[in-house]
Amino acid sequence: MFWFFAGCAVSGALLMAILPRLVQSAFSLALALFGIAGLYWTLGADFLGGVQLLVYVGGINILFLYGIMLTPKETVRWRAATLIFPGFLCVVPIAVLLHLCWRGLEAATGGGLDPATLPAPAATTETLGHWFLDRRRYLVPFEFASVVLLMALVGSVYLARRRKES
Amino acid sequence: MSLVHYVVISAVFFLLGVFTMVARRNAIYVLMGAELIFNAAALNFVAFARFRGGDLSGQMFSVFIIILAAAEAAVALGIVLQLFHHVPSIDITKPQTLSD
Repeated sequence: MFWFFAGCAVSGALLMAILPRLVQSAFSLALALFGIAGLYWTLGADFLGGVQLLVYVGGINILFLYGIMLTPKETVRWRAATLIFPGFLCVVPIAVLLHLCWRGLEAATGGGLDPATLPAPAATTETLGHWFLDRRRYLVPFEFASVVLLMALVGSVYLARRRKES
Repeated sequence: MSLVHYVVISAVFFLLGVFTMVARRNAIYVLMGAELIFNAAALNFVAFARFRGGDLSGQMFSVFIIILAAAEAAVALGIVLQLFHHVPSIDITKPQTLSD
């Protein structure tokens, strides 16, 4: 199950990065985000996987498709000159990161990394709901997040409307 | 699956996001790269919280990341559309000024 979702995520992200057409990239992004939702499920985060599927695959990706439909179509031709600097920018950090992962991660974090010793994942939705509305935990950030969302939606409607005088 | 698998997937996501943001000149691609980077960070939060003993705080942080990513995508697409009405191109290197 892990390998299926990991394959979805990595191949979707890779296709999104290299495909020449914007619409193809948008659908590859949907595949990548679905893979991430599945990885959340394999980590026992059932509520978060559902939220990821609803908000990202169902919401943000549709928003991107609308943005693509409202802007002109263009096709990218990859050339060596446009690939060298970004490729270099990516290859060096990935080498360093993978090196650090294999060398130091398990030693640095000690115990608790063996999946066999972890507690079995339980349903998280009820606990998360209690935590969201507990004022000693996450009530204030939760209310701030709703205010931020409201401001972002009003602001984006204001930004995206057509101005009469122009 | 161990923590290293998830961290490697997260690193691949982050770097493909950075690659997309740097290599493409289309504004919508830049936003998609930013979404990949958000997902990498959220996956790291959940994976580390899980392998540190099943704490749910990591999932809370990921929920907030998703909330902010939704707000960011809405505002940024509004800006891109307005920029497209202003300068008839969504190449991010084309607009040189903020006013007429």
